Amino acid sequence: MRRMLAIVVVICLLAGCESDERILEQMALVQTSAYDLLENNKIRVLSSIPVIEPDSDVQRQLLTAENDSIKEARLIFSRETDLTVVSGQMRNTLFGISIAKAGLARYIDTLLRDPSIALGVKVTVVNGGAGELLSKNYKSHLDTGRYIDHLLEKEASVNSIPKATLYEFSRDYNDDGVDPVAPMVKDAGEKATIDGIALFNKDRYVMRIPARNGLIFALMKNNLKQGEIALNMGEVEGRKLVVMFSSLLSKRKVKVHHLEGERFSADIHVNVRGSILEYTGQEDLTDTDQRKKLEEDIAAHVTARAEKMIQDMQRNKVDSLGIGQYVRNSLSYKRWKATEWKDVYPRVKINCRVKVKIKDYGKYI
Amino acid sequence: MKEKLQPFHIAILVYTTQAGIVVFTLPRQLADYFGTNGWLFLLVCYLLSAGNIGLIALVYKLGGGRPIFEILEQSLPKLILYPVYVSLASVWLMFGCMIGKKYILLFQMISFPTTNPMFFKLAVDVLIYLLLAKGIYTISKAATLFFWMTIWMSLLLLWFFPSFRWERLTPFLLQGGHDQIKGGIELYSAYLGYELSILFFPYIDKRKKAMLAIQLGNTLLTLNYLSLSLICFGFFSWGQLKKLIYPLLDLLAYIQLPFIERLENLLYGFFLFLILITVVMYWWAAEVTVMRIFPRIKKKGLTITLITVSYCISFIPKTLDEVVSWITNLGYVTIGIAFGLPIVLILVLLIQRQGRESRA
Repeated sequence: MRRMLAIVVVICLLAGCESDERILEQMALVQTSAYDLLENNKIRVLSSIPVIEPDSDVQRQLLTAENDSIKEARLIFSRETDLTVVSGQMRNTLFGISIAKAGLARYIDTLLRDPSIALGVKVTVVNGGAGELLSKNYKSHLDTGRYIDHLLEKEASVNSIPKATLYEFSRDYNDDGVDPVAPMVKDAGEKATIDGIALFNKDRYVMRIPARNGLIFALMKNNLKQGEIALNMGEVEGRKLVVMFSSLLSKRKVKVHHLEGERFSADIHVNVRGSILEYTGQEDLTDTDQRKKLEEDIAAHVTARAEKMIQDMQRNKVDSLGIGQYVRNSLSYKRWKATEWKDVYPRVKINCRVKVKIKDYGKYI
Repeated sequence: MKEKLQPFHIAILVYTTQAGIVVFTLPRQLADYFGTNGWLFLLVCYLLSAGNIGLIALVYKLGGGRPIFEILEQSLPKLILYPVYVSLASVWLMFGCMIGKKYILLFQMISFPTTNPMFFKLAVDVLIYLLLAKGIYTISKAATLFFWMTIWMSLLLLWFFPSFRWERLTPFLLQGGHDQIKGGIELYSAYLGYELSILFFPYIDKRKKAMLAIQLGNTLLTLNYLSLSLICFGFFSWGQLKKLIYPLLDLLAYIQLPFIERLENLLYGFFLFLILITVVMYWWAAEVTVMRIFPRIKKKGLTITLITVSYCISFIPKTLDEVVSWITNLGYVTIGIAFGLPIVLILVLLIQRQGRESRA
């Protein structure tokens, strides 16, 4: 009797889940989605779905829809495919420059609300049309979505672009002392390339930091455990003087000083240690004094580039380095609330104090 | 002789009873109601709960370890007591029931969104019945096992260290909050569960250590809450934390291992163990109380009746918000009981003592 009852209960319970049954072969697992704002204010959504049929020639399927919301697109996709479209395996979201300029907050909100989407989904800005980039086929890569995803991951691991996921974007967007950033990619004919870093004022894209300055930006923003940069330090006897500074380790500290009349100054102290991999100059690296001089030259060069970059950011009122967090933490709550940070920020005197230490210079004199 | 609860098991049992559904929303509630560095409020809760446990210890000491029902029945007529017992039992029964239902509705947000939640509720209730039927000693053994199966998850917090920044905590203390009294009571319900230890008296052996064990269980819970909240305040920005309804789910979803992603579905399952003990203990308390009214009733029959009644009640609230408001309201009453019951008992004991002294 008891056993019978148990069997009946189990059957009832198992039958209950039928409506939520998921069979992998019948799923369209969206991997990358691209969003563009059209001129009629509609949104074009393009999603890339890997094809898992073993005897299929194509690696991916593209679904596209034009409508008013990004979730509505999924319903339209549904009508175009025999599979159930789900977003639980989403890795990357590409936002075209048009939509990034208009503001990303509401799209990020929508993505965050969906319990099937994790905080680790990447947020990327495309310099151009996001849909165009994602739909393009690159010769040596069968799946553009995955290609871009891997490209971003690898570059973020060496800090030439910041890591930007829904978590980082929404964290900085909701913080009153820092603005969000995202990596920027573009189509470069034969391949897709990193185009730099997109800086946002609140949720609107405002300016770009070129890719070659990516590491300088990272040095000013975070402590680094990895990185590489080629420094073009002018010319010596008609030849370009290039220093390749690699295996970087850096520590950053920010100190805020209060000046007279609602003004602040901030010192960004950066200590960098790294190896020299390439050096085309005349100095003898084995000589301590000359090496010291090179260290100072590198520090001066980095400082100059960083300060110029920061001036640009101040002019555009984007506080991507999070100076506001440090200013906020140096004030009382009341005073911070009374401060219009975005108005104060351009007038903050920001000094970079970079110290460089050459750890080693390779295995050849 | 009946086996007694050892202090170690008591500590674990108290901790597992307390650790429940509120942990999913706790960091957000702290940020929302108490503002910047809201995690500090946990210390206030800790002091209050520790004081409350002190009251329970006092009841134990004054009453010489007698069960609370005996103490009450010695001085108060059953006509007054039985309605009180019925109310106590119903509050505890429904509180446990709603906690179970909330866990299931949350679970459904992640997986099986369109399946009827009452199927899952039934499955969980069967598990609870199996535990409840075995009595408090087996429950405490199971709680110990469940404790080891879940406590390792605290180590997952290490995952968030690299993204943790002290700057996000800000130096502001409890600024920018609202409705602190309402929030305080809601948050305090995260600590509830220790008050049931007042029913442990007949099952405890060593006097002093048992009360210390309850305090230790409560301290462990506080440490757990503190570490979780601190990580949340430094990992998320304050503004962001206020918007995340279930920050713990978001934390779990952020963990990615090279060979597996979206671990939260798996990890969320582990919380079932903690919820099970919470619900089981509330129902056990209800059962013990009802047993006092009908001492000759068959225990098994009573257990099944209680579970059936609560299962029927859990049909009423359908949405997460409804369940949350039930839990909040029942939480108010449960907090009242947590403080009120020991105070009443102490008063009764003092009167009894005075009576004895005057007779002597």
